[in-house]
Amino acid sequence: MRLYALAVYLFLYIPIAVIALFAFNAGRHASQFEGFSTQWFGKALSNPFVMEAFRTSLTVALASAVLATLCGTMAALALQSVGGRLRAAFDALIYVAVMVPGIVIGIATLIALVTVFNWLNPVLAALWPLGAAAPQFSLGYGSLILAHGLFSMALVIIIVRARIAGMDRSLIEASADLGATPWGTFRQVTLPQIFPGILAGFLLSFTFSFDDFIIAFFVAGSKTTLPIYVFSSIRRGVTPEINAIGTMVLAVSLVLLITAQGLLQRGRRRA
Amino acid sequence: MTDRKDTISRKDFLAELERYRKGSVTRRHFLGVTGLGLATTVLGAAVPGLMPRRAHAEGSIGDRVVLASWPNYHDPANFEAFKAKTGAAVDMSVFGSNEEMLAKLQAGGTGWDVFVPTNYTISTYVDLGLIEPIDLSKLPNYDPASFDARFAEPGTINGTVYAVPRNWGTTGYVVNTSQLGALAKPTSWKEFWDMTKAEFSGRTMVHDYQLTTIGNALKYYGYSFNSVDPKELTDAEKLLMEVKPHLFAINSDYQPSMRSGDAWMSVAWTGDAKQLHRDMPEIEYVLGKEGGELWSDFFAIPKGAPHRDAAYALLDFLLTPEVNAKEVAFHGYPVADKRVNAILPAEMLNDPIMYPAAELLDPLEFGAAVTLTDPGRAELMARFKAA
Amino acid sequence: MTMRPRYRTALFLAPAGAWFLAMLVLPLLVVIVYSFGERGPAGGYAPAFTLDNYLNLGSRWTAFRNTLTMAPLGTLACLVIAYPLAWFLAMRADARWRTLLLVLVIVPFWTSILIRSYAWIFLLGGQGIPSLLNALGLGNPRLINTPFAVLVGIVYGYLPLMVFPIYVSLERLDKRLLEAADDLGSPPMRRFLQIALPLSMPGVATGCMLVFILLMGEFLIPAMLGGGKVFFVGNALVDLFLQSRNWAFGSAVAAALVLVMLITVTAYMRFTRRWAGGRDDVALM
Repeated sequence: MRLYALAVYLFLYIPIAVIALFAFNAGRHASQFEGFSTQWFGKALSNPFVMEAFRTSLTVALASAVLATLCGTMAALALQSVGGRLRAAFDALIYVAVMVPGIVIGIATLIALVTVFNWLNPVLAALWPLGAAAPQFSLGYGSLILAHGLFSMALVIIIVRARIAGMDRSLIEASADLGATPWGTFRQVTLPQIFPGILAGFLLSFTFSFDDFIIAFFVAGSKTTLPIYVFSSIRRGVTPEINAIGTMVLAVSLVLLITAQGLLQRGRRRA
Repeated sequence: MTDRKDTISRKDFLAELERYRKGSVTRRHFLGVTGLGLATTVLGAAVPGLMPRRAHAEGSIGDRVVLASWPNYHDPANFEAFKAKTGAAVDMSVFGSNEEMLAKLQAGGTGWDVFVPTNYTISTYVDLGLIEPIDLSKLPNYDPASFDARFAEPGTINGTVYAVPRNWGTTGYVVNTSQLGALAKPTSWKEFWDMTKAEFSGRTMVHDYQLTTIGNALKYYGYSFNSVDPKELTDAEKLLMEVKPHLFAINSDYQPSMRSGDAWMSVAWTGDAKQLHRDMPEIEYVLGKEGGELWSDFFAIPKGAPHRDAAYALLDFLLTPEVNAKEVAFHGYPVADKRVNAILPAEMLNDPIMYPAAELLDPLEFGAAVTLTDPGRAELMARFKAA
Repeated sequence: MTMRPRYRTALFLAPAGAWFLAMLVLPLLVVIVYSFGERGPAGGYAPAFTLDNYLNLGSRWTAFRNTLTMAPLGTLACLVIAYPLAWFLAMRADARWRTLLLVLVIVPFWTSILIRSYAWIFLLGGQGIPSLLNALGLGNPRLINTPFAVLVGIVYGYLPLMVFPIYVSLERLDKRLLEAADDLGSPPMRRFLQIALPLSMPGVATGCMLVFILLMGEFLIPAMLGGGKVFFVGNALVDLFLQSRNWAFGSAVAAALVLVMLITVTAYMRFTRRWAGGRDDVALM
């Protein structure tokens, strides 16, 4: 059993080791090792496009996760008291949003927005006062955030709803019997119970958006997210700079994890 | 079209909008006819915050320029030098076919400032209104007179310059001669495809690019590289479908696989062949004796390029003979600029990969505009990839 | 200050509803409308009403077949590899190290799938594992750009998504049940088949669902590790929109993919719901 687990961990980490190894390559290629060097780490850190792509990804991931969590939680709460056709419609929408592959969402959003913008922009330009250049709708932050948030929101609704379903209703009734306002009941009774679900939804949404390549590939317009940057670097011919970026992200996360684990262990031993 | 009505039907409105969108009526006309003019004036006066404010940064070209180009095509050192000189960093993305670039531009919002289209595509870009005329006054280092007209002409459409020449080249194939065994070095497209089906099965690559992949399959039968004849395309499709299971990969960036030894033969462009041969002499370049493609690449500026000043600065920089000569030393494609050739080392100017013998060049064809938009070729390529 | 509940409900549902309408319903409607259109003269879309695109779907049969074989196969491979690992983590691993071991499963996920697939290009390429095998005298197989390479990439990319739900359901399992069975003399295999496996079914169902849905729309792994030779529907879509520029036919392929997924996923959910004992939250989370 232990040996089996070890084999799986090796499978998981050998490619990571290869990535890390070539990050220290002195040569320009990511597959022929030509000596040891740390130059690519410096290059990655001083590359303005890497940093900007990182910021774009962070912004999009944060905005879409916040919006999706907010709208999704609100919808999940409201759906408790909704029945009939409206509820069936929402159930169907959630189902479809989770199930339609990302690539179809990306393509459908692209062609729909391009079509809409092609009609909207001239109208806007015509309506814009004083002959100055009117702002143009185009793909970018907006389309990225909304397209990423769509799947996330469906996810949040599902998670929060499951949480609400598992909630102890007698507490709400008790709170109301004791004369709490609906808002008070929500804040003091409902929210604490569903909060783990909201948090899980938020974290999943953030991760999903931060990692997504397929949807962003179609709807990013002129914006470059980190996965898109990595994709175009690979097409440009991989230099170890990409390995350096990947290695740094991993190293930072690993160090944080191991420290956290260590602190927990120590805390437990003392207790 | 001067009679003004107070109201306009929905249908007329949409018709006018469509005409306005296509640019056949002016904004003033559109606003007048549709009655939106009054509304906008009132709105504009009532809500001062709607007035656009535009910030102009004069003098500086900004901190970046976005370039769309091809694999293994630019010396990174030149981009570093450009950044050191102007402060603008070059953000490059790489494409494997003209069709891919066209698809991106058609979908809109690319954010590109400069891209590198091939000769046969430029008239289509102009027809579709996707690129803008080049302002030659902003390119003091570009000297049209020093260019070989054959490679510069396709950039001029109806007397207007829409693209300036970068370099030219041929499309042949590279073969790793150490894997030939008892086989003689191939010299034709017929041998390329036949070897792929036999001795080199599983080791050959073709471009993810309809022009060269279909074009050179057409050459197997001796048809024109540019054919859009349905019968000839059917023959080419038959060959490609037969060959598909024997291919190593369909990819326009074949250098990594050729270098690692995974692939032994690939459809290739001059410069890639030169770069591979330089590092691994056993990899040789073959121009099929039946013919194939002769091409010329250009720089063009898409409509609405967000950093236009930086785009011109980059073009002017790359067209400076000294810089261009460094590019050539890196990428190994010949240029049509006499000023550059004057400073290139003699061994480069006599290089048989860069400057093939006349009898090999003569049968080559320039790509034809029709191949870019012909649905028959596009669908054939898509079917071939999906097979 | 108190709002009538009906208005509050409407207000709470409005943002989500609008979002679904604008970013899901509208785009899918556009896809459906476009799927009856024609290829534009320079590519793209031209309005028309024709069924040709749907009649032409047969030309992408290979892509659908590849997807519909590789997606279940990849899901199964993930399951087979993930289950024992999840078992080890839930039942055998030292409690002190369990969290760390769990997190280590997900850490590779934090590097972009693009970089990780690139590492596999090297590992499966001629200078990687094949040359190692060759040195050991085990032949020199070509691995890269084969369905096998794509399968490796799939397992590598999606394993954590399978490990976690299974781990959670095994972890929740009341271990006293297994002890009781042991005390009563039940052999280990029987204990596993009759107690542990059925009780971990919800996790298995969830993991399979997640992996299967994502695999049906996959295009990066086959593109990078299949060399354009293992073509999924996702690759056909990318090609039709970003290369051959036939938006009309592309829309028909997209619509067909969604339809295929609706059918398979709904059937799968029916099936697992019965199997996993009627819990309806099982399949989705």
